[in-house]
Amino acid sequence: MYDATYDTTQETAVTDVKIKAKDVQVYYADNHAIKDVSVEIEDKTVTAFIGPSGCGKSTFLRCINRMNDTIDICRVEGDILIDGDDIYDKRVDPVQLRAKVGMVFQKPNPFPKSIYDNIAYGPRIHGMARNKAELDEIVERALRRGAIWDEVKDRLQAPGTGLSGGQQQRLCIARAVATEPEVLLMDEPCSALDPIATAQVEELIDELRQNYAVVIVTHSMQQAARVSQKTAFFHLGHLVEYDDTSKIFTNPEDSRTESYITGRIG
Amino acid sequence: MTDASMDSAPTKGRLTTVDARTKKRNAAEKRFKAYGLTAILIGLFFLVVLAVSILRSGLPAFTQANVQVEFTLSQDEYDAAEGQMLKTKAYENLFIAALENQLEERGLEVDFDAAAIERLLGKTGGTIREFFLENPDRIGTPVTFDLAASSRVDGYLKGRVTRESVVDSRFLMVSDLDLVDALRDAGIITSGFNWNFITGSDSGVDNPGGAGIGVSVIGSFFMMLVVLALSLPIGVAASIYLEEFAPQNWFTDLIEVNISNLAAVPSIVFGILGLAVFIQFMHLPQSAPLVGGLVLTLMTLPTIIISTRASLKSVPPSIREAALGVGASKMQTVFHHVLPLAAPGILTGTIIGLAQALGETAPLLLIGMVGFIARAYPEGVASGFIDPNSAMPAQIYTWASRADPGFYEKAWGGIIILLIFLLTMNIIAIILRRRFERRW
Amino acid sequence: MTLLWLFLITLAIAAGAFVLARSRVLAQSGQDRRKLHSLPVYYGSNAAMKSAIPALLVLVIWLIAQPFVVNNAVSGMISDSAIADNSSRGLVLAEVRRAADGLDLAVASGALTADQATDPQSDFETVTSAIEESGAILTSQITEPVLRAAQAFRAMTATGKRLMAGVVLLIAALGALWGLRETSPEFRARNVVEQGVRALLIAAASIAILTTLGIVLSLVFNTIEFFRLYPASEFFFGTNWAPSFSGRGGASDLGILPLLWGTFYISIVALIVAVPIGLFAAIYLSEYASPRLRAIAKPMLEVLAGIPTIVYGLFALLTVGPLLVSVFGDEGLGWMQAGTAVMTAGLVMGIMLIPFVSSLSDDIINAVPQSMRDGSYGLGATQSETIRQVVLPAALPGIVGAILLAASRAIGETMIVVLGAGAAARLSLNPFDAMTTVTAKIVSQLTGDSDFASPEALVAFALGMTLFVITLGLNVFALYIVRTYREQYE
Repeated sequence: MYDATYDTTQETAVTDVKIKAKDVQVYYADNHAIKDVSVEIEDKTVTAFIGPSGCGKSTFLRCINRMNDTIDICRVEGDILIDGDDIYDKRVDPVQLRAKVGMVFQKPNPFPKSIYDNIAYGPRIHGMARNKAELDEIVERALRRGAIWDEVKDRLQAPGTGLSGGQQQRLCIARAVATEPEVLLMDEPCSALDPIATAQVEELIDELRQNYAVVIVTHSMQQAARVSQKTAFFHLGHLVEYDDTSKIFTNPEDSRTESYITGRIG
Repeated sequence: MTDASMDSAPTKGRLTTVDARTKKRNAAEKRFKAYGLTAILIGLFFLVVLAVSILRSGLPAFTQANVQVEFTLSQDEYDAAEGQMLKTKAYENLFIAALENQLEERGLEVDFDAAAIERLLGKTGGTIREFFLENPDRIGTPVTFDLAASSRVDGYLKGRVTRESVVDSRFLMVSDLDLVDALRDAGIITSGFNWNFITGSDSGVDNPGGAGIGVSVIGSFFMMLVVLALSLPIGVAASIYLEEFAPQNWFTDLIEVNISNLAAVPSIVFGILGLAVFIQFMHLPQSAPLVGGLVLTLMTLPTIIISTRASLKSVPPSIREAALGVGASKMQTVFHHVLPLAAPGILTGTIIGLAQALGETAPLLLIGMVGFIARAYPEGVASGFIDPNSAMPAQIYTWASRADPGFYEKAWGGIIILLIFLLTMNIIAIILRRRFERRW
Repeated sequence: MTLLWLFLITLAIAAGAFVLARSRVLAQSGQDRRKLHSLPVYYGSNAAMKSAIPALLVLVIWLIAQPFVVNNAVSGMISDSAIADNSSRGLVLAEVRRAADGLDLAVASGALTADQATDPQSDFETVTSAIEESGAILTSQITEPVLRAAQAFRAMTATGKRLMAGVVLLIAALGALWGLRETSPEFRARNVVEQGVRALLIAAASIAILTTLGIVLSLVFNTIEFFRLYPASEFFFGTNWAPSFSGRGGASDLGILPLLWGTFYISIVALIVAVPIGLFAAIYLSEYASPRLRAIAKPMLEVLAGIPTIVYGLFALLTVGPLLVSVFGDEGLGWMQAGTAVMTAGLVMGIMLIPFVSSLSDDIINAVPQSMRDGSYGLGATQSETIRQVVLPAALPGIVGAILLAASRAIGETMIVVLGAGAAARLSLNPFDAMTTVTAKIVSQLTGDSDFASPEALVAFALGMTLFVITLGLNVFALYIVRTYREQYE
């Protein structure tokens, strides 16, 4: 098994590691979905998870903000550390964790509320604004960061479900950004979008890298190559290879990675 | 990005320490969850209260206090009694003497008179005379008479009537209760299973003790036959048309709208329909199970159509395509393949529809099945359909609205029997579903 | 010949036609099925169908039409002078029918010979006394014209029945012949039979329309009749409900407002009980409960929905009513006079509606896509925040629809209010007062002995009409809301 960049002697030396996973196992009832995954994800970097369908990349992504807690039959073993804190520690409240680790989903899922309320939802439940003016400011900042402000600033009270697919997805990204997370998880954020919207979202992801550690799951190798600096290749629940994106796509070490890149498996 | 202020996102506190706000939110979470659980518990609590109150008030209807008196009538006494003007009175006196003897044998002395016996046991003389007239060979041998105690005495023994609540009347005097106590201590009054309640017919308004539900069970049975015979074929035919053949047009839409609305029309409105159309317009007989069955059929049809359509829909199109592919006509496809596969689901839906119809009361009130005293079983199948009868829920309502509280016990008892029927039907439906349910 | 025999003989003719047609076509093809257009059974079915269906159709129409024809003819025999002042033609005709039944009874018991009963010249005294002795139910003394009309009624009914039997059997036989004549190997029997079956299926589906039509017509005609006798404005705006019981003399006050008030008050109490409990139960079951708890609690709650309303009625009358009186009655707080009250009926109706609200809301909450919940969890919302701020607002239209359906149930519910709410119509605010509802009054006005032509009885149809319109409106509106809601997520 190729063991990502995980190396105990370097543990303290690497300072900009945001997420550190060690020997993570995930089971759905009796199905062993993730096997021995260890990986270190760096801050202010876009990390792409690629691999064929059902390889466990989305499952692993959902472990990072404990979204798998909402599935009864799902069981996670091993350690995932964010800034040195084990997120599966009993003392950790998943609610607090998810405020710190935001998530954007495959299909745009705006709430059936106004655009304003969609963005303000997170800040409101986390009590981030002292008054309406502050909330307005947070909403505007989030929408700007989501690169959608110019399109919606005149109709903040219109329902979020009325936007186009690409706008909805950028709204969802803005919604995730509004809670000031430190990590942003994206689960195939462009798979439901047309090419133009995809290009807009990819551009946005590249900009988000300045502030966050972004982890993106994608089906598209081209997308991984375009947006990410690091790439992890998953296959059948294993993390096969994890390295700089340029290396993975030009000179992979594992034969399975090469097969996938060249289109022989997948 | 152009906004410079967002370059440094504020760092959060450590994950392992839960902040005050999160604590508050988690407390709210717990409260909310508790509300939900409470709501379910309240619902279940009501269910338990309902069950307990049905059983507690209804089970006594299945027992009946009986007075057992051993009685030997000699030929001389028989002749003497038959020779008198008031024949039954003579038998009554003989009976009282026998009862006194029996009490004395057990060393009990209670004073009572003939009137008290009548209040306790009704007209004993008549019963005894009838027995000996019919069985003259039993004269001279000991015969044990099992006489039903009056409903008030029965109620006293069951604790429904207490000494404090008794007001002297021609039905019961407080002093009678001493006699009842004595008889009970002597083992002369015993409690037995009340078969008459299950097999008997309704009694008049002043005899709660003799009331039985048997005849109205038969009334319900005939009604259900009508409902089954009409609603199953019509319901299935209508569903097949709508699901398999109906084109998308205004007529189909009209039928669909009608069915979904009829399913929600209050049942009393179906009673009005029955009264106006079947009784006033077509002059069908009032209070007849046939009419009740027709009304309940119209009421049940939407339920059956909705469930039948669901089962037809659950048969995958591949089956239809396979049959059409070998050259079967559309009609053959439906009747040879789709319908048999949907049959268990249709049957289940029909049984549930029937159970619903069996418990329905309101429409029966309007077509005259209430207040009618069903005294006798129907004489045959035809008379079972068209002769006036009651039905279980209507009989229960009749008892509940009578003045004598003795009937309340019967009403609760009737509910137990009704619920047993409903439970059986639902269990059959569940078994059918479990046994034949097919997942595609 | 009784109806049953006529029916069976018709079926027998059809069965005969089936066998004949089947063997005929086989004979024509020389026992070679391959030469036939359709399977032999279709030729048989074709003949049987053509024999039985028109005949049975005629039978049904005849059965419905004959009473009208006979009634009209008999009505012509009774001169206006024979109708007493305080009576009407309809009442006299009813009397004629009763007398005719009495004649049947008298013949059956042997008090009259069949000839005596039919002979228009028979002695009036002997016939009437025989009718009375045979135990027929008569409401007044039989008069000569009534008796003669009754005899004519019997004669015409009997002739009609004989004629009907003849016509029906003739049609059956002709149909069978037609089917047989058509039978030949080239005949497309299957197509014809399938057309016929299709027509039967359409007829079955149309029964739903006929039922609605029947409801609407019986309500509309009787309501119009009622408004002819009683002013509509007083009915709709009258604040007093006091029908006179005799049906004769004494004007009745038939204002619907107190009944509507009682109906709405009880329904509101019921919804106040059912909606929070049902909604929270649905939320818990769909969002929190473990599959095991759900598998137990959901069917248990739904048992409440399967219990007949008469059981709830009795529960209200005999358990809840006395319980409330012991707390709020004279010995307790002194607010309540008797066990039957708005509170009693409303509370019990609320219990009945809990599973109704909970299972509808459960469906609706489950229809909210999981992605919506994930979006909220992903932002760090707790489960209750997600439910209150995302799931419930998304499900709101559906839940409103469910509540409206429950309200329509409550308004149309009969047994609980008949037994639990009391009989006095009043406009009061005290929930511990006895009040009555539209449904309860429909029952009481139509189950008495009053004559169907009196305003006191006809008012029930106007009440029924009001009830039908209100519940129909609620249902259509609620179903519309629920449907648009479902489509939103499909």
